[in-house]
Amino acid sequence: MSNAYDTDIPDSVDPVDDDCVEPAGEACAYTEYVEGEAYDDVPATGEGAEGVERDVWDTLYEIEDPEMPISIVDLGLIYGVSVDDTDDGTVATIDMTLTYSGCPARDMLQDQTQEAVEDVDGVDRADLRLVWSPEWNLELVTEQGEQDLRDFGLSI
Amino acid sequence: MAAVEELSEPDDLTADEREAVQHQLFRLADDEFVVAERYTEWQVKAPTLESDLAFSNIAQDELGHARLWYDLLQDWGAEESELIWERDPSEWRHSTLAELPFDEGDWADPVLRSYLYDVAEDIQLRALQDSSYPRIRDRVGKILGEEDYHREHAANWLERLCEEEESRARVQDALDRLFPHALTLFAPTDEAVEERIDELGIRSEPLVTMREEWLDEVIPFLESLGLSVDDAELPEQYDVHHSQLELPEHTGRDQSHTDAWFDLHDDFTHTYQELGRTSAERIMKDPDDE
Repeated sequence: MSNAYDTDIPDSVDPVDDDCVEPAGEACAYTEYVEGEAYDDVPATGEGAEGVERDVWDTLYEIEDPEMPISIVDLGLIYGVSVDDTDDGTVATIDMTLTYSGCPARDMLQDQTQEAVEDVDGVDRADLRLVWSPEWNLELVTEQGEQDLRDFGLSI
Repeated sequence: MAAVEELSEPDDLTADEREAVQHQLFRLADDEFVVAERYTEWQVKAPTLESDLAFSNIAQDELGHARLWYDLLQDWGAEESELIWERDPSEWRHSTLAELPFDEGDWADPVLRSYLYDVAEDIQLRALQDSSYPRIRDRVGKILGEEDYHREHAANWLERLCEEEESRARVQDALDRLFPHALTLFAPTDEAVEERIDELGIRSEPLVTMREEWLDEVIPFLESLGLSVDDAELPEQYDVHHSQLELPEHTGRDQSHTDAWFDLHDDFTHTYQELGRTSAERIMKDPDDE
């Protein structure tokens, strides 16, 4: 039995350049988030870190993305942490990326991270470096992060 | 061709190298900032809700990309506010395509402009993927990854606008007006410095090659939509290809601009000036400091 909507569907629609797997003429109902590749060396998650470095990681795990209840570490934004004794005292260096270059929360998240790390006992200064390579993608989200995003209602 | 030597960290560049890197960065940053500034004029005015959101988001992308490039210019001590709000308008290096005003309701213009711009941007970014300056190279991938849908959006709208005679005529009007300015995307900031950019391997393609690549992509597409690019029709027996195309009086790249740029600059720096700012200050006190 035909339904009323059939009349609106063109006889031929070029299916090329369409992300959807549905036959031509049907609406694109969702976006598939499958793009992206996994990298060997990022993200960093602090596995095996000890001492002050461990405390820095614990602090980073407590910082959440401003829009979703997921830690910035589980989101895969942290590419590296090192804690070094220098003439200026103990310096924590954090390499961090952002999901999107036009992120309006960039300054907020940077400031928040910097302040939180500088509050860690044993850290005198935090150097936060924004890095853009390799590019963040969904493959960088940890298993815990995926769970958090699902709990939040995202299909990933 | 000799292998290109990797350039040093910002502070260790020679004066010539630094000038070349800075010219390349101002080309990129100023284009993105100014084109985004113009795009935002369509917020709440684009013809459909979807196009409104898409175009606003494209503007946001371009502002994000501008910021990634201005970041690198800050390596030599300038603040973001000095590079944007306090830099004299006669020192900007964006293409004049980015600065031209829109006529009210003339949707064909931003659609075509963004098509011409985004195809060029893609070609220019790809020529930076193997840049000898690591700090440029590191950012290109992120930006390229956020650009694809800009071209899809523009091409898709162009196809629709060119389906009917009346709207195609509007696109043709926009094309006649914008095309010479689009060519300035590939104009030199300064011949000698641009040559140095190529020699140092900061980008892998010279401007003339990228321009040919761009013409070879945009002209067949526009013609397939029933548009004509009269200036581009040259007898085939001349191997000069498109070298005869004329640039407008002002190219932007060489810091010469149309009057519209100075008006736009007045507009977007108005609040900054009115408040007597000398730097980009915080509006609110940080609650943590209280």
